[in-house]
Amino acid sequence: MTVREMIEELGLTMVSKGGALDEPLVGGYVSDLLSHVMGQAKAGEVWVTMQGHQNIVAVASLVGLGAVIVAGGIEPEAQTIAKANEQEVILCKTELSTYEVAGRLYRLGIPGK
Amino acid sequence: MKRWFRADLHVHTLLSPCAAVEMTPRNIIRHAQSAGIDIVAITDHNAGDNVAAAIRAAAGSTVVVLPGMEVQTREEVHLLTLFDKMRDFIKWCDFIALHRSPLQNDEKKFGAQFVVDEEDELVRTEEAMLLASTDLGFDEAVEQARAMGGLTIAAHVDRPAFSVLSQLGFIPAGASPDAVEVSRNMQWAEAQKRLPVIGALPVVVSSDAHTIDDFLAGPKTMFLMESPTLSEIRQALVGKEGRRIHR
Repeated sequence: MTVREMIEELGLTMVSKGGALDEPLVGGYVSDLLSHVMGQAKAGEVWVTMQGHQNIVAVASLVGLGAVIVAGGIEPEAQTIAKANEQEVILCKTELSTYEVAGRLYRLGIPGK
Repeated sequence: MKRWFRADLHVHTLLSPCAAVEMTPRNIIRHAQSAGIDIVAITDHNAGDNVAAAIRAAAGSTVVVLPGMEVQTREEVHLLTLFDKMRDFIKWCDFIALHRSPLQNDEKKFGAQFVVDEEDELVRTEEAMLLASTDLGFDEAVEQARAMGGLTIAAHVDRPAFSVLSQLGFIPAGASPDAVEVSRNMQWAEAQKRLPVIGALPVVVSSDAHTIDDFLAGPKTMFLMESPTLSEIRQALVGKEGRRIHR
């Protein structure tokens, strides 16, 4: 499944300009502790979080994540969106809870590690 | 004339629900005086209502009290905010109160939150839930505290929770605090080596005391400076004109 297909399937709102939308997602990862994301998430995965801080973009860029979903109705900060645009990180938001997003991703065939 | 001051910049009173009731301002000052602690920053969670009592309790002693608060940002980062003047600190307290969780404290689960006077007499019980995140982002909290005259220290950055490093991975670009604090679990001299992401930021150690035993046994930072003021601490942190810090 590509990033673009996932966004459509889950009805996510993309808040950044975009990036590699046609890349396949290799898996999913969930955490709000960025220290853990840096060590445990893998390149090409989609990361679901409730942090809207600008550091999520730097972490996504560092790890080489396929996309970041800010869940639970949290609004990513303006700085975060600006950084995502700069670094071509695909940043989405949704009213769905983290749990719901992870469940739907799994059902779409996007596995955990 | 410079001299060494022994400072504990992170001390809770019984206003923090997790602190022991023995942590009254008067008791803290009494122990500070006998243990030779020159500077004590009172830093309760998301509130500062026992600071004035601590300042009054310290009158006539050798102990200097700095008004402070340990703010919990919306990312669940603990940030120490220290002030020089009560006037500025009261404004900071009012500002934080507007950004606190609307929840009420559950005494049975979290502990009671007591406001007392300098004689240990109960003034009131704080009903608001202090042990929760404010709706302020880390960057905003650093910038606001600074704009209102405060000094900011990222608390216990070596801990696996409530630390800027655990929550946000690294110090955010453009919102750098004035210093970082490491907990008693890490040696001061090792911090910059073991936590490379803190870069060249000054490192302090403090007790983060919730009991008198912790307060007496916990780490303190030594400051070589002219006088026990926030402005001198600020200069000592960056090593200005012969001022410096050493654990």
